[in-house]
Amino acid sequence: MAVSTGEGPTRGGTDYTVSAATIRHWQDDELPEWFKKKRGSTRSLIVNRWVPRVMVGVPIAVLLFIVAYPTVQMAYYAFHDINMVSLFKGDYGLIGFTNFERVLTSDRFHGSVIHLIQYLFFGAVLQVVIGTALALILHHCVRNNAARLVILVILVMPMMLPPSIVGVLWRFLFNPSNGAINQALLDIGLIQAHIEWFQIGVSLWTITIADIWEWTSLPFLIVFSGRLGLPPSIYEAARVDGASPFLTLRRITLPMLKEVIAIAFIIRFMDAYKFVDKVYVMTSGGPAQSSELPAYIAYQRGVREFEIGEAAAYAWIIFLFAIILITLFLRYLKRVLRAQAIA
Amino acid sequence: MSVKHYKLVRLLLLIFLGVWLVLIMFPFYFQIITSLKDVAEVNRIEPTFWPEVFVLENYSAIWNEPGNFKSLVDSFIIATCNTILSLFFGTLAGYALARFPRQSGGENVAMWILSNRMFPPVAVLLPMFFLFEELFGTTDTHMALIILYLVFNMPLAVWLMMVFFRDVPRELEEAAYVDGHKPFKVFFTITLPLVGPGMVAVAMLCWIFSWNEYLFANMFIGTDVKTFPVVIPSFTSGSQTLWNLVMAFSLVAMIPPVVLFIILRRYMVRGLSLGVVKG
Repeated sequence: MAVSTGEGPTRGGTDYTVSAATIRHWQDDELPEWFKKKRGSTRSLIVNRWVPRVMVGVPIAVLLFIVAYPTVQMAYYAFHDINMVSLFKGDYGLIGFTNFERVLTSDRFHGSVIHLIQYLFFGAVLQVVIGTALALILHHCVRNNAARLVILVILVMPMMLPPSIVGVLWRFLFNPSNGAINQALLDIGLIQAHIEWFQIGVSLWTITIADIWEWTSLPFLIVFSGRLGLPPSIYEAARVDGASPFLTLRRITLPMLKEVIAIAFIIRFMDAYKFVDKVYVMTSGGPAQSSELPAYIAYQRGVREFEIGEAAAYAWIIFLFAIILITLFLRYLKRVLRAQAIA
Repeated sequence: MSVKHYKLVRLLLLIFLGVWLVLIMFPFYFQIITSLKDVAEVNRIEPTFWPEVFVLENYSAIWNEPGNFKSLVDSFIIATCNTILSLFFGTLAGYALARFPRQSGGENVAMWILSNRMFPPVAVLLPMFFLFEELFGTTDTHMALIILYLVFNMPLAVWLMMVFFRDVPRELEEAAYVDGHKPFKVFFTITLPLVGPGMVAVAMLCWIFSWNEYLFANMFIGTDVKTFPVVIPSFTSGSQTLWNLVMAFSLVAMIPPVVLFIILRRYMVRGLSLGVVKG
């Protein structure tokens, strides 16, 4: 707020001195009534402090009710010998870590962890790699804005679909006897006989393919908009210096997009351990539990087989794993946010 | 690298992009043509890639099953109510976190709220199931899902609204205070219109997420209330699946999120990467 005294602004610069009389004048006349009335009084202090607290407090209370309470309740279940029958009878005892022991020593859990690692390596990693490549290709090679927009919409569309529809659609496409994919591969000449997509050892790959189809969109979209945000002047400077496109990619684009790619990867990584819906719709974990992931087993044990104690142990193992990941991610996020604010 | 060499690489990259586009389009294409075939052609041993007869009646036949239309209505009610609730809480907390960070807990509280979005839903399912059973006598209501979808929608709404409110310059509000307006009026006439576009985007995102949700719905509802993600897989459980009708119905159900996405694409990145990457 600049108030000039004397003759007003001169050519060389504005005079910003404000006389004490002017300030007194504001306090007396220009400030609104409610502002003057509450200023300095205890009542306004209470309002100032408590209004934001309540505004944040209500959503936090809701979250505590729908997220924190169930988690604690799950811990209670995990330490009790509780299933459908004992729940209705009301006699279930405290059994300590037996549920966790049962889970951690079971072959089913070991198998699911191996499946999860396989899914992470060939699902999440491939999605990020392909998505990044597609984003950079689209930005580099397609210059026409309309064409870019059409390609962008097509590439991102799978992500918007309901997961249950994606599951049903791909189960239909992969149908071993009369599915479209087997037929298309036969017509092209890539395979000689029908592939049994849902047999042991293959079904997890089938799910992974459907997942890559759906979720490559996310890293693609994140990296593409990150690339759009990079300043063009740097690329001009690189061109003037005579850098080849490949060198520009390796020395400028990839280092500057490092954080963006990392965030895309972490988001996909964190989605992986809650990944249930497509497994449920496409294979139901079968055949012979060969495509089960930990979150799916927790769901199956709790919801279908009503082994609540064991399901709770599974859920808590996933939860602890999630806490570690979330903490690491948020710490990284804070650093990136701070770096962005400085830059 | 010579110019000729560079052109070759460029061509290869474009081919890769083209092949990927075809791979992405193929399932959509097959879904559309399947929805136009008749039952005999769908169940043939060798699937055809172009329908012999176009059966547009499939699209009217899906409404013969009254449950189908009702499931879309149920999904709509749940998604809309949940969106309104998430947006209300999101605006409330987002404004407080953006304007009064010290009084409302600041960065740590914001991060905690955000962390709920990454929470594994499996850990929430069972206790909430028993709780709703006790409170309402049944979980088979709209209310159960409207509340539960807050688990993933509210953190998103809070975080994004906080980002949008931060973008509104504080000086505008201060100027209005000095002009003699009260805080409530300033909020509704100055701040809220400025975050309007962002609010619409958040609403659409929350709506898409609740519209698509499957896991909670599959466990909590199923008799009185049915959302379409639960209905569609149940079509295929019988011995004779009418794939053409399944595909037609799922195409209809896909329209809202796809249309919203095309309107929204500019805000999508912020929403999906939790507002970190500038969109």
